[in-house]
Amino acid sequence: MNPQGTHALTVSGDGYAGADLGETGTRGQTVLAAKVIEKIAGQVASDESSAGGASGGFLGIGASADLSARPKASVELAGNIATLRVEVGMLYPAPLRQATEELRRRIATRVTELTGVDVRQVDIRISWLTTGTKSNGRRKLL
Amino acid sequence: MRQTAGTLNRTWLTILGVLVVAVGAALLLQANGTLHTLLDTARPRTSVVTGDLHAFFAQPWVAATMLIIGVIIGVLGLLWVIAQIPRKNPAGDYRLHDDASQGFTLCDPSVLSTAVEKQINTLPGVITSAALLRGTARAPDLTLKVTVNDRADVQEVIHRIQTSTLPELANALEVPLQRSGLQIDVSGRTQSTGTVVQSTGTVVY
Repeated sequence: MNPQGTHALTVSGDGYAGADLGETGTRGQTVLAAKVIEKIAGQVASDESSAGGASGGFLGIGASADLSARPKASVELAGNIATLRVEVGMLYPAPLRQATEELRRRIATRVTELTGVDVRQVDIRISWLTTGTKSNGRRKLL
Repeated sequence: MRQTAGTLNRTWLTILGVLVVAVGAALLLQANGTLHTLLDTARPRTSVVTGDLHAFFAQPWVAATMLIIGVIIGVLGLLWVIAQIPRKNPAGDYRLHDDASQGFTLCDPSVLSTAVEKQINTLPGVITSAALLRGTARAPDLTLKVTVNDRADVQEVIHRIQTSTLPELANALEVPLQRSGLQIDVSGRTQSTGTVVQSTGTVVY
């Protein structure tokens, strides 16, 4: 039984003949914390798409939208199957359906490649939109 | 921006009006004897109810029935009054996914409204704006309230909204807007911030 929030990757091999090994034919287990999957998902979203996250602030208060920041992700693991939830900010007026569909595909593919976890669903919540400029909608006096 | 109970009022006033007119017409026909001739009802100016009504109303079930009917009418009336309160009726989360088995894509309409407001606030002469999205992601309904100052070119602002802001929102949602409403307010206030000026001049100290 794995600790909660972790995922055990079994590495097969010839193994040692020692009696200490619980499983014959294995060299051990690589345990992947759920946080790792969350961070990988967030990093993939940040690096391989136009999605952004929030940066700055203290304890989540006062954080500002930042396209270069890593989006917040959470994972729900059931064995080797993962359901991811990502909260992202996106560029406006990009087509949101296309952009999020592409993001979902990228996250699912890359997380599966990098961790071996089968990502079945990626829920995406768009939490903010930006035009890409630093403006808050008000004109600036230069 | 807020919606009132106009349709509900018109519907119920029509129903009640028709009922009152029908009852009034029946009473008039009864009074002048036409109804007696046509449908063989009681003769005009004759007593329809005979016997002791006090004994009838003294029965417990009559009082209970009257009370229940009164409460029902009172509750309906109260609900009608409550329905008069103007409401924003904003949309719930927009669902932007095609295949739910791959995961959900949700977007709070206020996120889109804020983006629209930010765009409109950059238009010349606009002091402030408020956007409200209703409907669904497949059939969005946008209501805009734009406050401009008294020096603004209102036609230009409307043109920019129609040719830039609305198409961009439709592009973001990938569906045409089902409806869009625009309310323009003119205010004597001046813009609190200036304008972006791309200067290439020489700074003299």
